Amino acid sequence: MGILKDRIKYGSETIKDPIYFNKFSYGRIEVDENKCTLCKKCIDMCPINAISVMDKKIFIDNKGCIFCGNCLSTCEYGALVNTHDYKMAEFGQLGEESREKIYKKFNRSLVLRSVDTGSCNACMLELSATTNNFYAISRYGITFAASPRHADGIVVTGPVPLNIKDALLRTYYAMPEPRLVIAVGACAYDGGIFKDKYAVERLDKILPVDLYIPGCPPSPQAIIYGVLKLMQRI
Amino acid sequence: MRFNEMIKELEQEFVYEVKNTNEIYVTLDKSSVIDVVSDMISKYKLHFVAQFCVENHDGFTINIVLSNRRNGYYVILRYTTGNEVISLESIIHQASLFEREIVDLFRLSIHGSSDNRNLVKHEIWQANVYPLRKNFKFKEKVSAKYEIPEYRFKEIRVDGAHQIPVGPVHAGIIEPGHFRFSVIGEDIKNLEIRLMYKHRGVENLCKNVIAENLNLVFERIAGESSVAYNEAYALLVEKILGIEVTREAKIVRTILLELERIYNFLDDIAGICVDVGYSYPAKKYSYLSEQIHQLCEKISGNRLLRNSIVPGGINIAITPEKLSAILETIKSVNNRFEGIVDMTMNSVPFLDRVEITGVVDNEIAEKLILTGVVGRASRIRYDVRHSFPYEMYGEIKKSINVETIGGVFERYKLKIAEIREAFNLSSQIKHVNKRKININLPENKEAFISVETVKGELLVYVRTGKDNKFDRIYFKTPSFTNWNGLTYAVLGEIVPDFPLCNKSFNMSYSENDR
Repeated sequence: MGILKDRIKYGSETIKDPIYFNKFSYGRIEVDENKCTLCKKCIDMCPINAISVMDKKIFIDNKGCIFCGNCLSTCEYGALVNTHDYKMAEFGQLGEESREKIYKKFNRSLVLRSVDTGSCNACMLELSATTNNFYAISRYGITFAASPRHADGIVVTGPVPLNIKDALLRTYYAMPEPRLVIAVGACAYDGGIFKDKYAVERLDKILPVDLYIPGCPPSPQAIIYGVLKLMQRI
Repeated sequence: MRFNEMIKELEQEFVYEVKNTNEIYVTLDKSSVIDVVSDMISKYKLHFVAQFCVENHDGFTINIVLSNRRNGYYVILRYTTGNEVISLESIIHQASLFEREIVDLFRLSIHGSSDNRNLVKHEIWQANVYPLRKNFKFKEKVSAKYEIPEYRFKEIRVDGAHQIPVGPVHAGIIEPGHFRFSVIGEDIKNLEIRLMYKHRGVENLCKNVIAENLNLVFERIAGESSVAYNEAYALLVEKILGIEVTREAKIVRTILLELERIYNFLDDIAGICVDVGYSYPAKKYSYLSEQIHQLCEKISGNRLLRNSIVPGGINIAITPEKLSAILETIKSVNNRFEGIVDMTMNSVPFLDRVEITGVVDNEIAEKLILTGVVGRASRIRYDVRHSFPYEMYGEIKKSINVETIGGVFERYKLKIAEIREAFNLSSQIKHVNKRKININLPENKEAFISVETVKGELLVYVRTGKDNKFDRIYFKTPSFTNWNGLTYAVLGEIVPDFPLCNKSFNMSYSENDR
C-alpha cells in the first residue's frame, strides 16, 4: 500500500534519453591551436604522461587520461578546454569487425558479464549506476548476467594484477563465441595511474579488446553511449 | 589516561620521543616486546591499531601502533630487527594478518606464530621477490610461475559436510575475492575469505610519485572513499608542514566528506533491500544516491568528488549557484528518504529477514578490532571523528551513534542514522574560493593520521624522503581487519543469508588488497 501511494505521488523517476548533453560532466579535453604556444608545461604536469607532442601539436590521449584537470589549471594561455563531451568511446583492434558480427548474431540485445580485475571500485560503482532506474540500461536490451556461460561479452575494469589473471582468462574462455571484451576506464586501457606498479599488466596484452570507454571513472552516460555505439544503435 | 600523564608514566621506564603533538614514539628492546604490548593494552587501556615494517639502511624497524581512543593520541612502539618479526598472536587476535603481510613484502620470518601462509603473494608469484625492499627496482614487473602449487583452505571435513567455493569472479557487479564455505545441512560452519586478488602495489608506487601528484594516487586506492583518502593526504601534508587551512575551507571539506558518506550508505542500504528481495525501496534508495552523485558532479565536475580536496585548501570554487544547488538537493532527498525508510521499517517480511541475522557479539568485535559502522553496531564506542577530530568535527560531532546487538538490522539502522546526521551537517556551507599550495617536503619527517572513511578507521603513516617524495607510506585500511568480522557474522546462518550479511558489512576489496 505504501509502495502504491509513493508511486502515485512521485510518478516515474527516470529519464527519457540517458545520453543527453550534460554540461557538468567532464569530457574530451581539446587543444586550441591558436592559443597554444607549445610551452609544454602541461606535459610536465600530467601525472600519467597522457600528453605528448605530435607534428608540433599537443596531443592528448583520451583513452589514458584520468581527467584530473591539472593540465587545465596549469595552462596560462587557456589553450586547453574541457568540452564536457563524454562521448569518447573508441573501438579497439577488432572493433569494426565485431560490430558487424554483433549486429548479425545478437541483433537487438546484449548480455554482459562484469569482471573487476584491479580497479579501485569507482568504475564498478558507475557500472552498477547504469542499472539504476535513472539510466536503466536494460531498456536497450543490455543486461548483466551472473555467469559467463550466458554472456556475449565481458566488461573489464582496472589493470590486470598477477593474482587475478588466471580467473580473468578462465572467465573469458567460458564464454561462447563470438565474445566481446569491453574495457571500462583508463586503467583497463594502459593501467592508468597504476601502470608502473610491479604486479600489474595491460589488459590488451592479455585479451583482444573491442571497445574502450575512457574516463576515470567513466560516467554511466559514457558507458551507455559506448555500448550502444558497439551495438550499432547510434 | 591523558597525554601528559602517559608521558610521565613512560618517562620512568622507556626511551621516548614526542612528535606532531599527539604521537609518542617509544623505542623497545626486541626481547621485551610481548610484555610491553600486553602491559600497554591491559594497564593503560590502549587499543591496537596496526603493525608495520619500515626498512632502514641498517635493518628493519617494526612499528606497533596503539591508540588512546578517549583522549586521541598514538603510542608507537618500535624495535629494530635483522630478520624476524616477534608474533603478537598471543595478545592480539588479528596480529598474524599484519605479520603475514610484512613477511610477504619484506622477507622476514615470524617468530612464534601458528599461521605462516602467504597473504599478499598468491601461489602464482615467482619465488623470492620482496617488492617493498629497497633493492627492488621501481617499474620492475613480477613474473608468474609456470606450475602453480595448490592453496590449502581451512575446511571442515566430516560426514555430511560439503564445501562451497565462491569467486573470485562474482555473480554481480562487485569486486573479486574468494569465499570458501564449509556447510553441514543448511548452516554455515566455517567461512574462509581469501583476498588480495587486486594487489597492485600501491605502497611501492606512492614512494615514487612526487608529492604534488600523490593525492591522485591516494583517491584511487578506494573509489568509494575517494574524498576520505584525499582528506587523509591533505591532513598529513598539513601536519608535516604545520599549516592550518581557513575555516571556510574546513567547512567545505566537512561537507564533501559527508556527501560521500550519504551516497555510500544509500547504496549500502539499497543493497540490503535487494538481497532481501524488497526491490521498490532498493530502487528508490539508489535513485536518491544517483541524485547525490549528480549534485557532486555539479559542484566538482566529478561524480565521485575526485581531486577536490588538496593540501592547503580545496581545488573547487563554491559559488552561490552551487551553494543553493547543494541545499535544495539535500532538502528534497531528505524528505524522500524518510518516507522510504518508513516503508522498510513497517514491512514485516523485511524485518523478519534482517533482525537477529549475522550477529557479531561485542566480545568478538573487540577482539577483531572492528571499526566504523560495523564496530559501532556491536557496541564499540569509537568514531575517529570524535576521538581524533579533524576539520569541523571537533565542533559538530558531539555524540557517537551506537547499537548493541550487532546484526544486519543494527548496521542498517546505523547507516540510516549516519545519513540523517550527514544531512543535518550540510546546512552551514559558505562561499569559498579555490586555493592550492606548492608542496616542499622537509626530509626525514614522520607523521600519522586517522580519518573516518565510510568503512571505518583509516590510519596512514608517512616518512618523507628526498626530492619531494615519500620514503615509506603505510595504509592500515578499515577493510583489512573488518573482513574477518564477516567470517564470524555468518556462522550458523544459512547460505542464502550470506549476501545479506556481506552487503551489510560492504567492505572494500580494493583498499584491503592495495
